[in-house]
Amino acid sequence: MYHPRTDVTHKYHYVPVDFLKHLFSTTVVVAVIASVLSAVFHEPVRPALKIQTYAAAHPRTFESVALDALNGTGSVANYGPPYNNGTGSLQDVVQKWVGILHPVNAKVVFVLRPLSQAAHLDPSLQTALTAFNQASPSQQAAWETAYGNGLSHAVKHGSSISLPPGNYGPVSVMMNDMLHLGQSGLLSGALNRTPADYQFDNQNALLFLQGRPLQNEAGKLELQGGQWGIIHEERAPYPGPWWMTIVTAIYQIPYIANASAADAMALGSGMVLFVIMMFAPWIPILNRLPRYLGVHRLIWREYYKTHPLHEQAAVAERGVES
Amino acid sequence: MSTGKRNWTVSMREKSAELFSLDTWLPTELPEYATGFMYTLGSLTASSFVILLISGIIMAANGPQWWTISALGFFLRGVHFWSVQAFFFFMILHLLRVFFSGAWRGGRERTWLLGTLALLIAIPTAFTGYLVRGDFYSQWNAVQAKDGLNALGLAWFNTLNAGQMYGLHVIVFPFILGGIIAMHIAMIRIKGVVPPYPSDRERAAQLHEEGGRSHVPSAH
Repeated sequence: MYHPRTDVTHKYHYVPVDFLKHLFSTTVVVAVIASVLSAVFHEPVRPALKIQTYAAAHPRTFESVALDALNGTGSVANYGPPYNNGTGSLQDVVQKWVGILHPVNAKVVFVLRPLSQAAHLDPSLQTALTAFNQASPSQQAAWETAYGNGLSHAVKHGSSISLPPGNYGPVSVMMNDMLHLGQSGLLSGALNRTPADYQFDNQNALLFLQGRPLQNEAGKLELQGGQWGIIHEERAPYPGPWWMTIVTAIYQIPYIANASAADAMALGSGMVLFVIMMFAPWIPILNRLPRYLGVHRLIWREYYKTHPLHEQAAVAERGVES
Repeated sequence: MSTGKRNWTVSMREKSAELFSLDTWLPTELPEYATGFMYTLGSLTASSFVILLISGIIMAANGPQWWTISALGFFLRGVHFWSVQAFFFFMILHLLRVFFSGAWRGGRERTWLLGTLALLIAIPTAFTGYLVRGDFYSQWNAVQAKDGLNALGLAWFNTLNAGQMYGLHVIVFPFILGGIIAMHIAMIRIKGVVPPYPSDRERAAQLHEEGGRSHVPSAH
């Protein structure tokens, strides 16, 4: 009975080779190619988006991001596991099971804690923070809503903004100082503080930027998910990580792109495709496919010149020739 | 000295003798069909990995921000970047060549499995490298990739934690990937490069020879 496992020729001979020289040659070839490309084209680099420069260039959006963290409507404030108990980015039950591995209370971590550190340098800020913290939740929410409405009518003057008069309470001072803190360059340091003395984790600064600041910048560079973003290099025409093309393509399927669990579905189906490829030798039909595709005739063109593939099978009836 | 009785040590000695033999790692002859450019693609992939290791070790030895502040570091970072492009370019061409060759035939299923596993591990190995470049691409893809990983219950793999990504990129993933590549190459050498498909006559003779045998015989 035919099985692809036995579908190999036994008619061939060995030829002498210098294996070491072969390996040395291929390594030199790659070293030269990579060195020349690096010397001529370098590696593409687009400087990171800094909170400091973003706060100076987009003061209104910056304050809006900070206000959303304070009032609990921001994308991280309501994200869900692994950061908190929100539901905004909760895609499936597995995500819930894993739980809160990297706790982030956006209100405290993004706004109140950095401001309380800055208050050591600015006593008036301490007064505003005390007033805010001692107010009832409904009073805090009223100030935040009023400030949000005011922000939508704010006028930008260079790197600062002015709001129309309103009942903002201490939130006005807090947001104004938050903007100054952002523009000073000290906010990213305040966000990335962890209990350890040495800092290796920039999670909170990236989460602070992950909404409109990074989204808007990435959109201009066509790096968003719907723009096949992850396989682009930000500086065309440099090649990006094109080996992730299949997963990125799955993200372009409208049914998946519009699903609430889009990320889980895209990565999950990409993994299923990969597993099929891994186990191809054991999958009927798929494991015989290369014989019928015929590309092997090109690969072993030279071999088949001396060992023709198509000979009279009937010879087998008369016995096997050695 | 062997007493003829099999135990773990005897088995390990027998397997190691083949695995670490000169015939396995330094062959002086190859089958006639396994020569030419098509059979250089795997070596070019392995060579790209060697250049990645060399450039990576030098960068790691100088600390995680050296490549952003030194001219030599910036050059090596470029070598590393173009080597990873070469690594995947040659690896995909090699994958296509072995697929169209039906390279799992003749008891070589595990060789194929290890090769595809190498590709699977190579993807996060490269991606964690992109995440420690420290530029806009690192920031953007760290926040983009986290959602899928969180949704799959892989929040432990925190793309926003540059320290964790650095450790995974410079030692954990290369160590696993290097091991898989080494096993893949050893399997190729021990099992041999897959021979071409037989001619109609040879294939018919094989089927005729097998006759009424009910099991699928191994070709090795």
